[in-house]
Amino acid sequence: MSFDAAAFDVLVLGSGPAGQKAAVQSVKAGRRVALVEQEAGVGGMCVHRGTIPSKTLRETALHLSRLRRSAALLDFTIKPDLEVAALTTRLDEVVKAHVAYMGRQMERNGIRVFHGRARFVSDRVVEVQSVDGSQRRLEAATIFIATGSRPRTPPEIGIDHENILDSDSILSMLYLPGSLTVLGGGVIACEYASIFAHLGVSVTMIDRADRPLKFIDAELVGKFVGDFERSGGRFLGERNIASVEWDGVSKVVTRLATGEVIESDKMLVALGRSAAIEGLALNAAGLKANARGLLDVDEHCRTAVPHIYAIGDVIGPPSLAATAMEQGRRAACHAFGLASGSAAEMIPIGIYTIPEMACVGFSEDEAQKRYPGERILVGRGRFEEIARGQISGVQDGLLKIVADSTGRKLLGVQIVGEGATELIHLGQMALLSGTGVESFVENIFNFPTLAEAYRVAALDVLERSR
Amino acid sequence: MLVLRGEMLAAEEAASSGDPLRTAVAHRLATGELSLPMLPRVASQVVALVGSPTTDANRLSELIHRDPALAGQVLRIANSPAYMPRMPIVSLQQAVSRLGLNIVSEIAFSASLQSGVFKVPGYELMLNQLWRHALASGAFAKEIARVRRLNVESAFLCGLLHSVGKPALLQLVNDVAKKSATRVGPIALVALLEDLHAVVGIRIAEQWGLPKPVAASIEHYTTYAQAGAFRQEAMITFLADRLATHALEPARFGGDDGFRDTAAIGDLNLYPDDVAGLLARRERVLELVAAMVA
Repeated sequence: MSFDAAAFDVLVLGSGPAGQKAAVQSVKAGRRVALVEQEAGVGGMCVHRGTIPSKTLRETALHLSRLRRSAALLDFTIKPDLEVAALTTRLDEVVKAHVAYMGRQMERNGIRVFHGRARFVSDRVVEVQSVDGSQRRLEAATIFIATGSRPRTPPEIGIDHENILDSDSILSMLYLPGSLTVLGGGVIACEYASIFAHLGVSVTMIDRADRPLKFIDAELVGKFVGDFERSGGRFLGERNIASVEWDGVSKVVTRLATGEVIESDKMLVALGRSAAIEGLALNAAGLKANARGLLDVDEHCRTAVPHIYAIGDVIGPPSLAATAMEQGRRAACHAFGLASGSAAEMIPIGIYTIPEMACVGFSEDEAQKRYPGERILVGRGRFEEIARGQISGVQDGLLKIVADSTGRKLLGVQIVGEGATELIHLGQMALLSGTGVESFVENIFNFPTLAEAYRVAALDVLERSR
Repeated sequence: MLVLRGEMLAAEEAASSGDPLRTAVAHRLATGELSLPMLPRVASQVVALVGSPTTDANRLSELIHRDPALAGQVLRIANSPAYMPRMPIVSLQQAVSRLGLNIVSEIAFSASLQSGVFKVPGYELMLNQLWRHALASGAFAKEIARVRRLNVESAFLCGLLHSVGKPALLQLVNDVAKKSATRVGPIALVALLEDLHAVVGIRIAEQWGLPKPVAASIEHYTTYAQAGAFRQEAMITFLADRLATHALEPARFGGDDGFRDTAAIGDLNLYPDDVAGLLARRERVLELVAAMVA
């Protein structure tokens, strides 16, 4: 073991979206940066177990959904014992390409990557244990904690990675199950529930709340739940779990406090994520986790120790990759006295359910709370009224524009429907540049495109303002 | 096509080795003169049944009952100390409800595989060793998958079947040796099996229609970097194979420290405490193996 700590200006713990951006921004600020990653490749859970794998399966589900719509032409059915691996054939290439790209980015920026598990020795020194057991120490004046999260495992539910799975093990199932119970109503629960429903699995989603995704506009979520149920899914809201057990034979049995019993071949437990900070020996740095197991930070992502920042999933919701990236960039800007711009006030949210959901700025409810007593105008553009929606068979989409009482000032955009996560950026740019609602009417969009929904919604707003 | 290339390569290598038996075996492989074992009927039906959404305990019990010897074997294993039943299990339905459908399926699949595939007269001792190794590999593969937070069901099959080519190859070597009146020494025989079993295993995987991760593990577990999308499964299988050897023949590694040098440990990103946890499962795995082969 070497006790002479190698000195850097900046130490980043974790190479997920938050860590990467903090590291790159620190280099741009002229600092020498070391990054510690405990997994074999850079990218974090986002690349290896989360965002990228689930989106790859989602693409397959979408293709199959489209094929199913053409079933009369193609005589198309999914085999009941289909291997899950057959549904994610491109995953390996996608992950490899992404990891290679990120590796090159680190190299290009001169970031030293250390593979190992980090633990604090003091507020400026970290010990790194490699997989071979060897140890080294790294020292830095500024430290970013970006170690991410892992699926929360409630003690009362025995996750065995065979019948009762979490979001880490769900994609390594051998065969597509006939039925699946999903516990939770958050982003991960909704994404997987809708993907498996579109793959023909009989999915039951159970949550304590009356509807999933409570932080998203209710009208959008209503559309999502409608599509989910039309795909054969079932949402059971306002339900508490009494017990979950593998019956020892062939089913996972879920008993609800209401007395209902749900049986399924497999279960996905998606009841949130826990910050991956337990091995960091935070107390050696003068830090401790809060009651929810997260790190408390100020508006600049600074912890109680001023030169240690925490970014990404370790500080809690919204736990989205785009937000984590921006936290990383802004935290590094703050640490080195750089202006970070105001873009962070307009971070879009994208949820890769089927159909997608996306929003930026204020929702109708949020705008009403922000401007009490003022009349908030909402214009709607329905995809079934748009030529491109009809051509593509995307008929259940909705784009909402939220505006002030004059109908001129744009306050937010909410979208549900295929392409939502791309379409939202038009609204984001309009919000950031202060473009008025009428611009969507006065400017010309390609025809036929789903972006036309902006024009329809804007016309609706202007109509209501009269 | 891939199989053919592998066989041609094996044949070329064997020809250049100067060993006439090896050359003859490789030639038989290259020309397809090899009778592959059938997947025992019960084993294939068990796989089909477990993959079916309508599986239940009665259907599995009924299936196992069709082979009285297998039924007896499953009951014996279910009552062994490895599964520690609180009370004696006297029926297959009881076994399913106590141990679970998956465990009983695994037992039935393994037992029918043993009686149907691992059978070459005159090589009972060697086959017993191969079988114990296959079982231990399956059990360790499950443990590794749990540590890596991956699904354990495919890991077991990958571990159990990764060297399924060996008994078929042993039969072939036996036939060739008999025909040419050649005596094969145990060291040469083991080396031959090690070098060529994957070629046979790949053909068995094709014939039996084994799941993709299992077929990839058979082909690539020693060259897991080439396993493409199934690299994780192949790595797990490779390490499970080594853990099985370490558990059954500890002297081969010179103890736990020697085992820790296995490169796959680093490639699977297993830290020292993870490895210690896996090594600590050795006794449990040996109990399961003992139950299956007793």
